[in-house]
This record gives sequence, structure tokens and C-alpha cells, in this order.
Amino acid sequence: MLARLTKYRWQYLMILPAVVLLFLFSYIPMIGIQVAFKDFHIGLTMWNSQWVGFENFAFLQDEQFWIVVRNTIYIAVLKFITGFPAPIILALMINEVRHGGFKRFVQSVSYLPHFFSWIVVAYILQSLLTLDGGLVNQLIVNMGFEPIFFLGSTEWFRPMVVASGLWKEVGWNTILYLAAITSIDPQLYEAAKVEGAGKLAQIRHITFPGILPTISIVLILSMPSLITVGMDQIYPLMNPANQPVADVLDTYILRSGLQQGYFGMATAVGLLSSVISLLLVLFTNQMARKFNGEGLW
Amino acid sequence: MIKTSTGERIGQAIIIVLLLALCLSVIYPFLYMLSISLNVGSDAAKGGVYLWPREFTLYNFEIVLGNSVIQHAYLITIARTVLGTFIGLMVTLLMAFGLSYRLLPFRQSLLTYVLITMLFSGGLIPFYIQLNNLSLLNSFWVYIIPTAFSAWNMFVMMKFIQGIPDALVESAEIDGANPIRILFSIILPLSKPMLAALGLFTAVGHWNDWFAGAFYVSDQNLIPVQTFLQQLLSAQDISTVLGSNNNQEALARGTMLSNVTLMSIKMATVMVSALPILCVYPFLQKYFVKGVLIGSVKG
Repeated sequence: MLARLTKYRWQYLMILPAVVLLFLFSYIPMIGIQVAFKDFHIGLTMWNSQWVGFENFAFLQDEQFWIVVRNTIYIAVLKFITGFPAPIILALMINEVRHGGFKRFVQSVSYLPHFFSWIVVAYILQSLLTLDGGLVNQLIVNMGFEPIFFLGSTEWFRPMVVASGLWKEVGWNTILYLAAITSIDPQLYEAAKVEGAGKLAQIRHITFPGILPTISIVLILSMPSLITVGMDQIYPLMNPANQPVADVLDTYILRSGLQQGYFGMATAVGLLSSVISLLLVLFTNQMARKFNGEGLW
Repeated sequence: MIKTSTGERIGQAIIIVLLLALCLSVIYPFLYMLSISLNVGSDAAKGGVYLWPREFTLYNFEIVLGNSVIQHAYLITIARTVLGTFIGLMVTLLMAFGLSYRLLPFRQSLLTYVLITMLFSGGLIPFYIQLNNLSLLNSFWVYIIPTAFSAWNMFVMMKFIQGIPDALVESAEIDGANPIRILFSIILPLSKPMLAALGLFTAVGHWNDWFAGAFYVSDQNLIPVQTFLQQLLSAQDISTVLGSNNNQEALARGTMLSNVTLMSIKMATVMVSALPILCVYPFLQKYFVKGVLIGSVKG
């Protein structure tokens, strides 16, 4: 055994830095979850702080917490029912474009927003929607209506988040589908044309079944991150006016933990959220085993 | 020739119109922000600037580019992008290559060790406490070290390396090359397209990250451009940019300053952060499409 280990000493040496990094930044934080059951302050370590049992879980009786849960689920569901089908439809549309140059142009332009940060997206929203001189409100006023305070409104917050999220990622998410469409055998379309099938029939009976495996993989892979609704996106857009609908689990953890110093309680909320994600992964993996014959790992 | 029916031609037209609308929704906001940033601020505030500047000026950009806080933030962003991408790819590639040896003892355990971190995490707060314990808070290295290893990229790299013919590696082994040599002289040159794609994604991630700068760092000398932008986003007056006395020259020209608004400064700053990406974007396209497809091969 020792001889085998020494034979691979170079390989172990190469693996070592990553193993150490994972230990420091993934495994120790996992051990650190015990803070959820302790009275922790900055200055103490996670080992020498007092055990307090489930005291940190008192948030479960807090009304505010359940509002946050509802907001999270609301945004997650809205994002999913728009963000999942949209790239499929867009890919099918791009595929129907006959002019090669225009097709490449649409692809290039629609991938672009993926490369900008959510901060830039927030600036775009602000420049277009702000009350003092924002383009959209200028148009609304010119048409003789009252200006709308989009950025500080509880009604407009969710549509704003869902639409800007869709705008940023829809093009990028077509890449896999477009690749799947290209790999469909062209003879199938020829045969269908001979049979007299129209465009819509071809999409329904050839293109769509052709990309179905890709659709199912994307669906499976999107499940685990379902409840991570995108703090990167939401935090910059959040303000006291829209907080009642904008506050989600991640922003709640951030605020109560890092800004107000309730480390134990914020860790407990994080633990719940991690466990839900884990259950979603395990559930999807079971489903994938059942329907595809093999799991994710 | 199969003739196209009227229905199909109408369908084509609808698709083209919809796709054009999508493209417009991407391009127009940038044109709008660019024209505001190139317009005299007090004039733009009157409204009516839609497509191009009405009273053209470069003054907004002069202020932004001349501001030492922004210049410093830019340096931080560049440093973390270059170092973070290089170190990140290196650490990840080393492990991927090590684990690509199928006969490595404990290989399966090591793979599980990585996989577990993809499925479950301690969450933000324990991670933050650990950063604090390691004295990484308020340090430049907080941008580089904690996120250097990427489990996802490791699996993509490992799959890719395993696709390289064994014969190439074996012949080098017979010549007496050790695995480190093999990695740099054989694997690395063959992995260039894959490394280019993953490196591109990593670099964009570093360039766009505002979170670490906002929560793991409190020293204003360490924040990257995106965090600066995040602070400026909710700023109520221009003093965030101009208040610090490092803009003497601009303040001296007080008369010009009265024409600058918060909005025009914001737009100029956001354009300064976005322009580098807009400029390199056309050249990098072929890499990232390939990158997504490499990643999609089931790991």
C-alpha cells in the first residue's frame, strides 16, 4: 500500500492545495453550523461560546420570518415559471431564422447581458425608471398620466425583478438548446416535408422531442438553486419602501447576521435554507434516476 | 422547390420582429446611459435626451476618471481579476489532473469529498466567521483565496483531461517525465480551449463581483469598482464621488461642477465599468459558447 501511495506522491501533492482550501472554506463552515445552537459573539470562537439549545430558532414564531419565506417562494415560483420556458421558446424562434447573419447577430446580442453584473442591471433599471428624468416616467408623463415610483413600490418590485432577471439570462440559456437543435438529424425534417407537415407540426413532432432530453437535464439542474432567488440581484434593488415584498431569506440572513450581529439566529436561518436545498437536490436526483435511468452522480 | 405558404411567411415576420425587439431591449439601455453620460448633467435633467447627447461634454468622464477613489477601485478590480483567475485555474487544474488518474488510491473518497461541498454548505454566517478567524476580512486576499477552488470547474476539467488519449501521457512517462512535467508540457497545451473558456467565466465572475467587497471588506481602499458602484447606486448626493478632497482639480473648476448631476456621474461611472466588457466581448464569443458546451457534458 505504502509503495502505491509513494508512486502517486506527485498526484497527491497536486491535489493537496484544493483539499486544504475545501477543508478551510467548506468543511470548517459546516462544522461552524453549531453556532446555530450557541450564543455567539464576535470575540468568542465557535468552540467556547455557550450552548443554548434551540433558543436561536425563536424566529420560527416571528411573523416577519414567515413574510420573508412567503416572499422567497413567491419570487422563486415567478422566476421559475418565466425563466424555464422562455429560453426554450427563444431557441425555437432563433432556429427558425433563415438569414445566417441575422441569426448570429441575435445570438451575440442576447448573450451580452449575461456578462454584466447585477449592479449594472440595477443602474439600467434606475436610469430608465427613476422619478426625476427616468425615460419611462418621461413617456408616462408625456402621455398625460401620473408618474409611477417603480423603484420604491411594492406592486412593481416583483415584476421588475422577474423581468430584469429574464432579460439578463434568457439569451445565455438558449445556448444548450440551440446546440441540441443542431444535433437533430436533418433527414427527419426532409421526411416530414415530404409527408406534408407544416412548420408548426415539424416543431411539435421533431424539434421539441429532439431537445426534450436537454430540457429535462436543465430542469433537474435548476431544482437545487430554486430557493436561492438571487441576493446578488435583489439586494441592490432593495430599499425601505419595497422591503415588505423584497426581503427574501438571503437578505434576511445578511441583515440579521452581518448587519445586526445576531450570528446564531442568522446561522439557524441559513441552516434551514441549506437543508431545503439539500432535500431538493436529493429529491431531483431520485427523480432523475427514475426517469433517466441514471442520477446526477 | 417547396414553396413557402403565406402562413409561414407571416410566422417568419413575427419571429423577426420579436427578435429585433429583444435585441433593441439589450442595446437601447446602453445607448441611453451612454448619451446621458456624454450630456451636460443639468441639461439631461430637463429630460428629452433619448438617443444621443444634446449638449455634448466629456466632463462627466473627466471627473470619474480623474477621481482617485475610482482609479484605486479599478486597480483592485484588475488585480483581483488577473490574480484570481490565474490562481483559481491553477489550483483547480492541479486537482483535476491529479484526480484524472483512474488508479489513484482513495480517488473515489476524494471525489466524494469534493461532491459533498457542492451539495451542502455551512451558509453565509459560518463562512464569515471562518474568514474572520483566518484574518481574511479586510484583506485583499479575501477576493482570491476562499473562492480559488471551483468544484464545478474541477469536474469539467477532469472530464476533459480524461478525454486526452492515454498513449500521449504514457509515452512521456516512459521517457521519465514526472506528472508535473506532463501536466505542463502535454496536458496544458492540449487544454487551451477549455482553459480559455473556464478562465473567461472565472474572470467575468471576478470583474462583476460586488458582494465580497461590500461585506468582507470595510476599508474603502480595498473595494473593487463593482462595490463602489453599489455604494454609489443608493447615494443621495454627488459628495460620495466628489466629497473626498482628492478631486481638487475638479472642485477648482466650480462653475463646470454646477452642471454635473448625480445621474450624469452615475451613468459615466457605470459606463466606465461596463465598457471593458463591451470591448472584449466580440473577441471572446467563440470561447464561451464552447465553454458552455464542454460544461454540459454530464460529469
